[in-house]
Amino acid sequence: MLSEPGHYDYAPYAGRPRITWPNGARIAFWVVPNIEHYELEPPPNARRMPWTRPIPDVLGYSHRDYGNRVGFWRMAEAMARHGVRGSVSLSCAVCDHYPEIIERCCELEWELFSHGTYNTRYFYGMSEDQQREVIRENRETILRASGQSLDGWLTPALSNDETTQHILAEEGILYTLDMLHDDQPMPVKTRAGALISIPYSLEVNDVPLFGMRNTPPARYAEICKAQFDQLYAEGAESGTVLCMPVHPYLVGTPQRLAAFEEVLAHVTGHEGVWLATGREIATWWKQHHLAEVQAWIEGLPA
Amino acid sequence: MSGLPPEYLVYPHRRRGLDHDFYTHRNLAEAPRVAWPGGKPLALWVAVQAGHFPMDMGNKPFPMPGGTERPYPSYWDYTQRDYGNRIGIFRLIRALAARGVPATAFLSAVLAQRYPLLLRHIREAGWEVAAGGLDMGRPHHGGLPEAEERAMIREALDLLAGPDGARPKGWHSPGFSESMNTLPLLAEAGLSYVADWVNDDLPYPVTTKSGGLLAMPISWDMSDQRMLAQQHMATGDWVESVRRTMAVLRAEAEAAGGGRVLCLTITPWVMGQPHRIAALGALLDEILADGAVWPATGEAIAAHWQAQTG
Repeated sequence: MLSEPGHYDYAPYAGRPRITWPNGARIAFWVVPNIEHYELEPPPNARRMPWTRPIPDVLGYSHRDYGNRVGFWRMAEAMARHGVRGSVSLSCAVCDHYPEIIERCCELEWELFSHGTYNTRYFYGMSEDQQREVIRENRETILRASGQSLDGWLTPALSNDETTQHILAEEGILYTLDMLHDDQPMPVKTRAGALISIPYSLEVNDVPLFGMRNTPPARYAEICKAQFDQLYAEGAESGTVLCMPVHPYLVGTPQRLAAFEEVLAHVTGHEGVWLATGREIATWWKQHHLAEVQAWIEGLPA
Repeated sequence: MSGLPPEYLVYPHRRRGLDHDFYTHRNLAEAPRVAWPGGKPLALWVAVQAGHFPMDMGNKPFPMPGGTERPYPSYWDYTQRDYGNRIGIFRLIRALAARGVPATAFLSAVLAQRYPLLLRHIREAGWEVAAGGLDMGRPHHGGLPEAEERAMIREALDLLAGPDGARPKGWHSPGFSESMNTLPLLAEAGLSYVADWVNDDLPYPVTTKSGGLLAMPISWDMSDQRMLAQQHMATGDWVESVRRTMAVLRAEAEAAGGGRVLCLTITPWVMGQPHRIAALGALLDEILADGAVWPATGEAIAAHWQAQTG
């Protein structure tokens, strides 16, 4: 076992090269709808059982199924009302199960990136060839369903194994969301070279907030707005990134929809916010900042 | 590293629609437009989970939500829940009756045997008697042999049959838990609707090899037991969530021209506490204030839906 991921060197928040975003924006704000399918009868994985109850876990399954039947449609309309596009963390099998959801995402000009095939097929214990097979298949699926290239990656249920980031780089993935170590994009060290980490979030992620931290809707909005306000303020010095991961089965419920919209209204009510997708953030940062940040990190005293 | 077995990357149910055949995928916008009586945008469904939690229920094969949390013999857990069937439910009956709101009681069937007086009061209140399994210590789950599960369902329905022999039309499994056989067995037993799958805001048809059922949109994520007992949230948080839910569902119903269901899933040992009951009453007053809801039992809502959607 490794004692650390080994994908980045220590890089203090102080003294970094200044990050600039398009049109002088202070902050890149991106919403990541996790559009997932959890299988009713998934295969077991030695490191994690997909369901907490014996199969079929009707409660767990149907709660998530709400997202694809009901929540997605509400959530997507709410985002459209505020002019916010999504960067979809996609269980790629959704392209086969619910093509109408993918069609709607494409109409709204959302980015699709891979969150694996199903959120019940973990990368824990996969061989390198197996990981590669999934990535390649997901790339073909996204291309077939949307015409888009596969540029981003979040391992299903954040179940990456030790080698996953290396394989992502070898397979030509542009950015990974598997690490939570920063509020700015960062280079990822892999045996194959270039891979970029873009900030994801478990702090303003609706799953931990609603499911584990027992957060009422109004407090959810408060937390997300506070996260934005701070990163927006810091963005005056150097550009920051706020990722807001959401799940249609949570924010798409009637009790939470208005709180989600309240956050979107708050963010879009500010000047100097870049409403971006993951691909746009990674591409811009790679083009304008990667080399400088890389050189700065390499020049840091040991 | 040798990796996972090859079948880990085989997806036998990867296809259009769901990965099972119990119901078909449906987008909310494509749901039938059903008009509730009086043209009300919302049907108000109060679903009461009146469970019996045996003191020796344990936590197998999974911890039952609301079940025993402390070492045996936990008088704490047992009597706190039993309070619901002695005291709490009578506060619910009174609060609802004062406002002309009916309810569906999903009852642990053993309560009919243990507390026949409770059943009498529930029937006198005009509530729908529906089945909530045998008791909270006997969940339906994937490890249950089919014959055993069939017998459990039959026994529950027999116990809950009324003085006139009428058997429950509605079913809710303890802890929202089913086996792969539950839905066909419920259809086989002649039930009309099931309230276990928390995947919609409107009813939808379920098909099984033994016939059809209607899935009713019972709330779980917004139930008092989950929010107030399991998640330790405040009564006011539940009230606010219901308010927000009503606002969205009502706006949708008015925009879409089809009724929605506002389901309040409440629990006698939780909502029937003295410090909470006034909040329930005040919330009901708010919900009823401008005549936007049709208060109805699950059975009535299901029948109305079936009649309009065929």
